[in-house]
Amino acid sequence: MVDISTAPQSPPIPTDGPWAVRTRRFGEVSKQVLRNPTTVAGLVIIVLLLAVAFLAPLLTTPNVPDPYQMPRDWGTRDAPPGTPGHLLGTTSTGGDVLYGVLWGARTSLQLSVIVVSITVTVGVIVGSLAGFIGGRLDEILMRIVDVFLSIPELIFALAIAAVLGPSFTNIIFALSVVFWVKYARIIRGQIIHIKQNDYVDAARVTGDSKFRIYLKDVLPNSITPVMVQATLDMGGIVLTAATLSFIGLAQAGLAEWGVLVSDGQAGISAGKWWASTFPGMMVFLWALAFNLVGDGLRDVLDPRTEGR
Amino acid sequence: MTAAAPAAGGTDVIRSPLVASVEGLKVHFGTKGGRIHAVDGVSFDIRDGETLGLVGETGCGKSVTARSFLRLVQSPPGIYAGGRIRFWSSLARRTGADPVDLLSISQDDLLDIRGNRIAMIFQDPGKALNPALSIREQVAEVFYQHRSDDLLYGLADDPPLIIRRAAGQRARGLERLLLKLPPLRGHAAKLRSRVDVHVAEALAETQIANPRKIMDSYPHELSGGMKQRVMIAQALACNPDLLIADEPTTALDVTIQAKILELIRQLQHRHQTSVLYISHDLSLIRQTSDRVAVMYAGRIAEVGDSDAIFSDPLHPYTRGLLAAVPSASHKRGGLAAIEGNVPELVDPPPSCHFHTRCPFAVELCRSLDPELEMVNGHGVACFAHASAEHLGVMPEELPSFAKRTR
Amino acid sequence: MQIREYILRRLMILPLIVVGTSIIVFSLSRVGGNPIAIYLEHEMTPAEVAEIEERYGLNEPLPVQYLAWAGGVLTGDMGWSAVSAQPVTEALFSRIGATLEMAIFAAIVAITLGIGLGTFGGARRDRLPDHLTRIFSISGASMPIFWFAILLLILFWVNLGWFSTGRSSPEIFASIAHPTGLYTVDALLAGNLGAFLNAIRFLTLPAITLGFGATAIIARMMRSSLVEELNEDYVDAARAKGLPERLVLRRHARRNALIPTVTVIGLGFGFLLQGTVVVEIIFRWPGIGRWMADAVLRGDQATIMAYVLFTSILFLSVNLIVDVMYAYLDRRVVLGG
Ligand SMILES: Nc1ncnc2c1ncn2[C@@H]1O[C@H](COP(=O)(O)OP(=O)(O)OP(=O)(O)O)[C@@H](O)[C@H]1O
Ligand code: SF4
Ligand SMILES: [Mg+2]
Repeated sequence: MVDISTAPQSPPIPTDGPWAVRTRRFGEVSKQVLRNPTTVAGLVIIVLLLAVAFLAPLLTTPNVPDPYQMPRDWGTRDAPPGTPGHLLGTTSTGGDVLYGVLWGARTSLQLSVIVVSITVTVGVIVGSLAGFIGGRLDEILMRIVDVFLSIPELIFALAIAAVLGPSFTNIIFALSVVFWVKYARIIRGQIIHIKQNDYVDAARVTGDSKFRIYLKDVLPNSITPVMVQATLDMGGIVLTAATLSFIGLAQAGLAEWGVLVSDGQAGISAGKWWASTFPGMMVFLWALAFNLVGDGLRDVLDPRTEGR
Repeated sequence: MTAAAPAAGGTDVIRSPLVASVEGLKVHFGTKGGRIHAVDGVSFDIRDGETLGLVGETGCGKSVTARSFLRLVQSPPGIYAGGRIRFWSSLARRTGADPVDLLSISQDDLLDIRGNRIAMIFQDPGKALNPALSIREQVAEVFYQHRSDDLLYGLADDPPLIIRRAAGQRARGLERLLLKLPPLRGHAAKLRSRVDVHVAEALAETQIANPRKIMDSYPHELSGGMKQRVMIAQALACNPDLLIADEPTTALDVTIQAKILELIRQLQHRHQTSVLYISHDLSLIRQTSDRVAVMYAGRIAEVGDSDAIFSDPLHPYTRGLLAAVPSASHKRGGLAAIEGNVPELVDPPPSCHFHTRCPFAVELCRSLDPELEMVNGHGVACFAHASAEHLGVMPEELPSFAKRTR
Repeated sequence: MQIREYILRRLMILPLIVVGTSIIVFSLSRVGGNPIAIYLEHEMTPAEVAEIEERYGLNEPLPVQYLAWAGGVLTGDMGWSAVSAQPVTEALFSRIGATLEMAIFAAIVAITLGIGLGTFGGARRDRLPDHLTRIFSISGASMPIFWFAILLLILFWVNLGWFSTGRSSPEIFASIAHPTGLYTVDALLAGNLGAFLNAIRFLTLPAITLGFGATAIIARMMRSSLVEELNEDYVDAARAKGLPERLVLRRHARRNALIPTVTVIGLGFGFLLQGTVVVEIIFRWPGIGRWMADAVLRGDQATIMAYVLFTSILFLSVNLIVDVMYAYLDRRVVLGG
């Protein structure tokens, strides 16, 4: 039969290696990402929040000796917003809400960067071992992952932080224990997927060692989903940490948003809304911004998993 | 013949009345890169009882043209940018009523025509059936939608309103609950068994062996050929005046293809249905079609009786296609004989869309749209067949098959 | 047939995961230092301490201690809950009704609202309703529950006075019996409409707060799978049959879009579970979430262990049910490991 469905000339098949493809894609990706207005909004909020975090020592007088502790002004307690010297009011213990809001950004930035670095590293190592070596090791590691996933995140972190006792360092530790699991899963899935791809075989034929193949082909190709997840987690970690400290697992008086909301909670029935409202809004903005950007990234990098 | 029939066909041939007439149809897609002129001024007629074959290579706009009949082009990004599709239903032909323009009638009128007067079969029966509904439910929908009066007739002297609404698929949440409860349950069951009879009949018509059993299955339990039979049963359930078959056998095995084609032909004769048959397979088109329209890059290149097209092709594109036909040696090589690229359809300038590949192209072809000129029902859109006088140019400026430019 | 095998296999894996989880839970209790601390009082002699160690088996090797604890859990003995001054099992069962009632209402809110919103947005892709749905669902995933709860309280309790914290009005609580522990059900059993409305009034804010995050997750999934389904050929085929858009959406596209949406209901349930801790603190709700929060602050390990084990088993079970539902709904699914 005569089938005229095929166009006369098919486009040339690109002959560059994966790196070339990736560098070309980077420009495209950022262009596409910037085309989405909600992603841009998220980026703008992130820039503002980072500016706040970096400029906090200039915008306020750092508390001595520890700037991460709230300064107490016992003379002006429960001052409403607009009070001279206390733009956003004060808490029931005389803490300046503005100070907490600004330094909270610094606390959150440190927290999220530390936890994301730890969890990505651990996750990538575990996932790589499982995916690349496979076999029994894979079996065992993945069952461990299953077990970790069987406890809802916040509850797991809450239990760990609880047995370790209330302190911000323990919150960081607890979050690190809980959040690495997703990365291990992502990396393992990607590796197994890529291992079946042809050019890894090609590399094998050319006699590259397994480890070189891993470094050159497998790892760089697994990075995009990890990037998306890490962006989302930058928000999720601050959200979870704030929840833990709201429940009471950070040391009292820390300049951290969850602690401030918790301090302000008692006052709301008496109409003192500000001490909870402003810090809570910061948590929301932080999580929102990273979710917007992570979402936009996912739409562009991996449109098929959108919304899953 | 209706007075409104266009100039197609001379006085010599007596042709049957028109069922549909596409005139200057333009369908565009708004994209970030510009407007894709997917269908860019297409005209052809479909006459009573005939099969019109629409042939062209992938992406030339066949499906978009077909979907325009039922306004099924996704919009946005699709835009109906011009032209009209006139349609004479059998009733209109009998009463001498005016045709309707499918592109401008109201949504309600359109729903009345879809699946009732004009039906469509899709390329991949596996995707065109809903995986979550049983065959019974899917075929029954057509009867509920278009034959609710027949279903109610004789069911009861004066069926309750809610039953009438159920027969027309208008029953809502609470009503559907009531239909399951005692006073109405009997009526509802009777209604359902009546529909079942119709569904079984429709399936039996497509030579499905055990219709009652098939009715209860789900699409994934059936073979591809079986699914396409169900689609055909569904399409012909209401005796449509026009059946649009968009590559109905492309997704099927070769052995099943022949059976499905035969089935469509039989049913077409029995039901007196006109068919718009779309394919990119020339030999299939030759087998099935009374007349053929050759489409290229959003336009009709040539249209005429099947015999005329295959024995005496006029357009360089058609000639190129046919020159490649007999060679069994290259399997899919239909167009290997014609060099060059299909032009971009984004905001094309006026020109013959085929000029990038045409061995006879001259300057004129690159700056002017050739019109589809009809002589004795055979139309061709190529300056080599145009009259210099009519165009207002010198005869040597026209392309001629004597001189090849490449 | 196939589905039955699948369920069996999942049911066989479940205990393994539960054992793994229980090991984690047990290890947690030992990471935090010697659990004996909670039993000790000032001025105890070494002999007395040793006696307590002996009594609770704390001088045995860890695996033996684990087995002893696990055996206890299996026979319903999970130790003494210091925060509620009663055995853990009793405390758990006296509080579970409150949490369950709130979670059920929140789930109803989340599922109906989530599916409704997702359909609303997905059917109007890239138009205003779609953008609003998207903003709503991203906000939902970013919203600190504790802040949202406080905002609602500031508005509806402090300023408008429509709702309040707690679980029911005292005089109404006293007026009916509470055989099930679910106040709405108890009120209906007693045939007391006033008590029912009272229970609903107290439930409203907590259920909305708790359901917000899950609503967002479900809406988002519903939206994207509806968009996907609306691009399928069978939708056009349904239109080509002459069906009105209402039926095309309801009977054809939405039915299929619901199938993948079911999978996130498990995830949404996890959101609900962990949300109860905060919501119960803020709304003074006497459920197991607040019990856990108290235990956390007081370092009551028996309670923490019981709570974590209980919720994770609940979470696992719901996910199992969801998977089975999915396999059943999606007739095309090829069941695999
Ligand atoms: N939803 C859409 N969005 C943008 N462009 C579209 C869309 N649908 C069709 N097109 C454009 O219309 C052109 C014609 O498409 P159409 O499906 O009609 O081709 P076809 O002739 O049926 O090809 P095939 O043989 O592959 O079915 C395509 O080349 C494409 O550029
Ligand atoms: S000769 Fe000119 S008008 Fe005719 S097909 Fe070739 S390019 Fe088109
Ligand atoms: Mg097509």
